[in-house]
Amino acid sequence: MKKTLILSALVSLSFAAAQKTVTLPWSGAITGPTSDAGASYAAGVEDYCKYANAQKMLPGVTLNCVTRDDQYNNANTQRNFEDFVGNLNAPVFLGYATGGALQLKSVIQETKIPTLTASYHIGIIDAPDNTYTFLPVSSYSENIVALLEYIAKKERGAKVALIVNPSPFGRDPVVDARKAADRLGLKITDVQEVGGNNLDNTALLKRLESQGAKYIINQNTAGPVANILKDAKRLGLLGKMQFMGAHYTGGEDLTKLAGDAAKDFIWATSYYLYDEGNQPGIQLVKKIGAQYKRGGDTIRSVHYTSGMLAAAIAIEAMKRAGNNPDAAGVYKGLISMNGSKSFNPGFAVGPVTFSAKDHIGAESLRLLQADATGNFKPITGAQRSALFQLVHPMK
Amino acid sequence: MDLLPQLLIAGVVIGSVYALAALGFVLIYKSSRVINFAHGQIIATGAFIAFALTQKGVNFWLAGLIAMLATFLLGMLIERVFLRRMVGEPIIAVIMVTIGLSSVIDGLIHLTPYGAGTFSFERPALLTGQGIELFGLPLSKTQIAGVLMALGLLGGFTYFFNKSTLGITMRAVADDQMAAMSVGTSVERVFALAWAAAGLTAAAAGVILGLMSGLTLGGLAGIGLKVFPVVILGGLDSVIGAIVGGMLIGILENLSAGYLDGIVPGGGTREVFPFIILIIVLLIRPYGLFGTKEIERV
Repeated sequence: MKKTLILSALVSLSFAAAQKTVTLPWSGAITGPTSDAGASYAAGVEDYCKYANAQKMLPGVTLNCVTRDDQYNNANTQRNFEDFVGNLNAPVFLGYATGGALQLKSVIQETKIPTLTASYHIGIIDAPDNTYTFLPVSSYSENIVALLEYIAKKERGAKVALIVNPSPFGRDPVVDARKAADRLGLKITDVQEVGGNNLDNTALLKRLESQGAKYIINQNTAGPVANILKDAKRLGLLGKMQFMGAHYTGGEDLTKLAGDAAKDFIWATSYYLYDEGNQPGIQLVKKIGAQYKRGGDTIRSVHYTSGMLAAAIAIEAMKRAGNNPDAAGVYKGLISMNGSKSFNPGFAVGPVTFSAKDHIGAESLRLLQADATGNFKPITGAQRSALFQLVHPMK
Repeated sequence: MDLLPQLLIAGVVIGSVYALAALGFVLIYKSSRVINFAHGQIIATGAFIAFALTQKGVNFWLAGLIAMLATFLLGMLIERVFLRRMVGEPIIAVIMVTIGLSSVIDGLIHLTPYGAGTFSFERPALLTGQGIELFGLPLSKTQIAGVLMALGLLGGFTYFFNKSTLGITMRAVADDQMAAMSVGTSVERVFALAWAAAGLTAAAAGVILGLMSGLTLGGLAGIGLKVFPVVILGGLDSVIGAIVGGMLIGILENLSAGYLDGIVPGGGTREVFPFIILIIVLLIRPYGLFGTKEIERV
């Protein structure tokens, strides 16, 4: 009896010793600027990570789920990255902001830590120093080129204005948008920068109206766009101008802030939405959200789904790396996601595909339009921009 | 219709909100010579208290009044707990306390469901429907209500400081604390009242801003610093200065957006132009347009 007990204790201990702990870290804005998106994103990463542990998705591996607030501050992001990689031996890094991702590019290249961010800025995966950086979904640039293609189909020669955030996040797609507009026969009448404190947009909208701009594409966050839409409604421009935007402009955040002024806004995104309960990915979002007792607003947010996708991709890459996932293994796991081995957890409208050259995950996107109740309904199927790869060939 | 009058009207609308937000700085500085860097966070606190109450079914107007009362008491509490102990300390220490307070309040709001999120007031019936048109510029009922509320409070405080005994007492304390104390004035009471009144105006500004542009902690707290040029331009210790400074900044922002953004690639001149004017004014009048000129005799 005594021998049996000792033997089973030894067996248990050896199993415990075999169970390896691997850190899955995220650094982003839980507080500070853009925390309205970041807090839900963090919750998505954290909950999916916990769910993966509960489901024993990685045999022999227990994930150490770490989400850390960097307050949208690049210096904090860098410190978190150094701690995650240097002290916690994380084999992958989940980031958040455009600025932080761009600042870390050379460090990531040097340390060879595969990185996925919540910023879909194409510059993050542009050369140089782009071997280990990946976008989970289509870039802002591709969102905007797809919107321009939609406009060109509706009205060739139409006048388009761009309203962008005064930051790398906002400015980056402008070059690609200009090239695409040239090829599509559209005229970009103006590119204006609008930040988060835009309490009055009368002057901006009046000028765009005087230029004859009929389509207004936004590359911004939902707050400034909501204020523009409310002012456009007050000025009687909503029927005359068609407002549109890339991923971070739309969704629940926009309709909550803009109310009925968001009606007809056209939004490009790669994610399924909460209202699409028939999608397996959204069913999983709801299940995990309920399991970890998240509030309704969090679960409904597209950013919660986005956080889950980033975590799911990292965990799948670890799985493909085997039971000893290090950075090199995770990188190999990531670039194996193509062809029959593509990864489709159901959060985005297409499968996640990566290779040594392809660093954009779920490349498909849809255009959706807000209805009178503020819900976004798809107006296109899942698609890729036909023109994007021509205006922005990846190196 | 010509663009100019429309831009001027839009500038007055936004300027009146700036002026109201700036009033909190002035009330505190006028009585205690303290610049409160936590003012933006108090604006956010007021707005979120009102929002939370409306979520619980409280009528919007009543919620706004309760929020104003709550931040009135919060202002008093802050003065009592933190600032009273700092009387006689170097001004930089007092400023650091207010910067610390801004972080603490920010952190506390993050512990509530409203810290990281995007919210919008359900518009009360009185503020829905068609607004009015002024010189070709349509104004929403929210904007009109915002301007009226701001001007009402600004007018009330102007009257209070010029005509009421308490207001004159507060000005006396601001002019010379020692002299005021020697004639039996309770400086502590005046300080507490100034902080409380600043809290009250902060909530009013927060609710108006929340109605106009939605509620996010960053946006509401950020307005506290955005109006800083307003108070510097108007004069840190002048209620009239806050009104004129607010209107001027609002109008200048709109004029630059209307006439310069089309020339400057990328636009965004509204963020810079008021500061250019501010620098010019400060070169000529370092104490602002209506601020008290400090004369030191050596």
